[in-house]
Amino acid sequence: MARLRTIPTDQIHPRDVADKSVKGSLERAIRMALEVESGAVRRNTQTFNLGRYQATADIADYEELKDRARAIKEAAIESLSELLATLEASVTSRGGHYYLARDAADACYYIKRICLERRARLVVKAKSMTTEEIGLNGVLEQASIEVVETDLAEFILQVSGEQPSHIVAPAIHRSRERISQLFKAAFETDHPLDSGEDLTRFARDQLREKFLTADIGISGANVIAADTGTLVLVESEGNIRMVTQAPPVHIAVAGVEKVVSRREDLAPFIELLGPSGTGQPLTSYTSVITPPLDFPSFSFGGSPARDRQFHLVLIDNGRMTMREDPVLREALYCIRCSACLNVCANFQTVGGHAFGGETYSGGIGGSWEAGTGTLQKARFTELCTGCSRCVPQCPVRIDIPWLNTVLKSRLDRAGGGVSLQKRFFGNFYHFARWGSRVTPFAGSVLRLSPSRWLLEKMAGVDRRPDLPESAVRPLTRQYRQWRKIQAPSVSHAEQETPHRKALLFADVYTNYTLPQRGMATIKVLECLGVQVELSRVMAEGRATLSQGMIVKAGRRAENTAAYLESRIDQGRDIVVVEPSVLALFRHDYRHLLGNPALFEKLKANSYDPIEYLLKIIGEDELELKQIFNVEETAGGRIFFHGHCQQKTIDATAPTVTLLRQLGFEIDTSSAECCGMAGSFGYKREYHELSMSVGEDLFNQVRQTEIPGGDRTILASGISCCEQIRAGISRRVLHPMELLAEVML
Amino acid sequence: MHSGSESLIREFVAAIGLTGATVELVSRSPEALKHAVRRVLSGGIEVPSESSGSALLAEPDDLPSELWDPLRNLEQVVDNPPDNQLRSARVGITDAFAGVARTGSVCVAVTAKLGGAVSLFPRSHIAVLEARNIVSRPGDVFTAGQLENKGMKRSFVFITGPSVTADMGELVRGVHGPDHLHIIILEE
Repeated sequence: MARLRTIPTDQIHPRDVADKSVKGSLERAIRMALEVESGAVRRNTQTFNLGRYQATADIADYEELKDRARAIKEAAIESLSELLATLEASVTSRGGHYYLARDAADACYYIKRICLERRARLVVKAKSMTTEEIGLNGVLEQASIEVVETDLAEFILQVSGEQPSHIVAPAIHRSRERISQLFKAAFETDHPLDSGEDLTRFARDQLREKFLTADIGISGANVIAADTGTLVLVESEGNIRMVTQAPPVHIAVAGVEKVVSRREDLAPFIELLGPSGTGQPLTSYTSVITPPLDFPSFSFGGSPARDRQFHLVLIDNGRMTMREDPVLREALYCIRCSACLNVCANFQTVGGHAFGGETYSGGIGGSWEAGTGTLQKARFTELCTGCSRCVPQCPVRIDIPWLNTVLKSRLDRAGGGVSLQKRFFGNFYHFARWGSRVTPFAGSVLRLSPSRWLLEKMAGVDRRPDLPESAVRPLTRQYRQWRKIQAPSVSHAEQETPHRKALLFADVYTNYTLPQRGMATIKVLECLGVQVELSRVMAEGRATLSQGMIVKAGRRAENTAAYLESRIDQGRDIVVVEPSVLALFRHDYRHLLGNPALFEKLKANSYDPIEYLLKIIGEDELELKQIFNVEETAGGRIFFHGHCQQKTIDATAPTVTLLRQLGFEIDTSSAECCGMAGSFGYKREYHELSMSVGEDLFNQVRQTEIPGGDRTILASGISCCEQIRAGISRRVLHPMELLAEVML
Repeated sequence: MHSGSESLIREFVAAIGLTGATVELVSRSPEALKHAVRRVLSGGIEVPSESSGSALLAEPDDLPSELWDPLRNLEQVVDNPPDNQLRSARVGITDAFAGVARTGSVCVAVTAKLGGAVSLFPRSHIAVLEARNIVSRPGDVFTAGQLENKGMKRSFVFITGPSVTADMGELVRGVHGPDHLHIIILEE
């Protein structure tokens, strides 16, 4: 067999790597995206991301609104069959036509038949991911019908032949320069095609004539009310209004999951879509229409106006099966706002041509590609690192990383088992423990290039990044030695009833790799009168879960939870230094423990060290100057990068609050995730992507140090520390280490 | 807050400013409205030179005829326009049955009165709204009892600022819809 030639990336067309079930397409797509599309994707998604934070902050009842939206979707999917019957009656009673299509072919056949019956020569289309999903354009074009995409992004894609790179802004991967190049090559025209204004005017003039002469307009629908047959259509350009008003025939194509019960149920979605997506309170045009419209179509060319015809084509195409699947059912609640794409650090860096399939992209995209296609098409979910930044952004509260973890696990099972690479990273616990026993021997062996070559070949561990090194003395040993010295003076063991008792959870990362942050935490807490016990070291399930090894993670969770509960019952608060482990207890155990009450108990009793510190200071009415040398801290310059999962569980803000109260001058990172994300950046096929994600963070440190010089760099997560160190070769401290230094 | 209250009007006006539209408050009288529209038509709105001069007047869905009728006699105004005029008109004038304070939006009915088309095809759109029909947030339009339940019954469009796109690599105003929106609020 001939060897595969490495194709230069400028020859990779996104369409060639769209189907991620094809072996090697994900890796090739990442290379292409990093080289060609990353700049435009990063700029555009980060603008949306910032806009969303601002727009949602302006909604006073944002959380309640999300609850309402979620409840409406849950109820709608639950009673979907009844709703569809109601909707059919609503549409047909107004003289519209209703069709429920089994699958893509069925839907395309029905729509083609309408076009042929109407002798349609020209169809204008509004943006519709559903018609991308069913491949409608190709079917109509084969029947010699001209199909014109009128959304400007879709218009670009029709010229370039590319698949959407984003579910809301499908041409987000193209900069103005690359659109200009494309149009100049594709069109012979006297129009200037350089500025955004030029390009827009050119497209508008082309499309205006199409609207006026089209026989049929095809749109999607964002939400549909069953009781009235009302459609909501959200846009900014005006093309959807044209498509639904100008031609005499309107065909709306939508997945069955878009249906909600009543017209008043449309309200929360209208209020959430714009803010969650592009960050606009409302986009320019939100149409709320109940077709067929009750006035004749226009007659632009002198032909008489005709009565309007309306067809609602609803599509199953796997959705009813998704509904029966407890995990994929969640995806049916998705309102396609794109928040989970825009907030995702990996998506911001490569976009949907790598982090996506033939139609759907981003965190939620895997479930859709799997649900409407095959599981193998969802292989790009590997790019979901589980950083969880999408979780609080989702307007219908879908735990997207959990969906992706389940997909990864199913993919492994379907693919014949867990790869050696995943076993390696999933069993970090054993590896770290072994490493600590044979340190420094193991460290020096691992630094040898032949070992790294072997590790890369065997287990897919990239040979370039430094691996986390085992500390010479793990936390457990340091703690025992420290206790011995401290025992006569400050041991609280003698006290009958210590004021506060805590269990510091000796997570594997703190214990074997960064024990100094564990010791710093113990010292500061004891100084505040907390009696601290160090837990035994146990694999709690984070590493296994992040590799999609759910069953094993579940076993580890059960063990750990039982142990933690016994300590909570003794009156101990649980303090966890590594944020990814704290997030496991406060978020992921919801899925891993079969016991909701136990999960709530762990969640309510586990703390980030500084969160715990602030709680004690508040409850015991302590003064900072009694604890810390505030003269030393005042004016100190700090850069702080909060850990992704720590932000999601609301455990980052206390660090910023306390450091400010201590008088530090602090700049915080706006990077959603450092890019290392646990083991992600160590994997051979993702190392470059991980470093590219990290560039945003590295640049921010460089920028913030231009005026005024160096800052002390703080990060809470072990992988953030490793990543920053790798990117800019600087020492990074956990905030508790800094606090231990400035303690009185 | 009651719809149309002073604070809602203030919030509405401020929000309109953020959408890229313009707004003015005039007293609720035929003369004042006619004067305001005339002023806008005679140069108050900058429009691209390529468009012809006509201004299309949709039939009002809600505003009473004593307010609307005087507009028919304005110079440039084409009353009851034939469909072909939609292609090239400079300005479209419609009424709006609701305003949304939080977002600076107006709700224009998509009915046989042709507000839906007249607010879409021309390069500029003038929307006329009664102050008492300003509600707080988009969801209020769907609340039973608000706005005589018009939001629960008819086909309409929330219009929030001019037509825009960011698809061509930068933000551009005026794609398929108007590149200018002017809102006239009629105050009692």
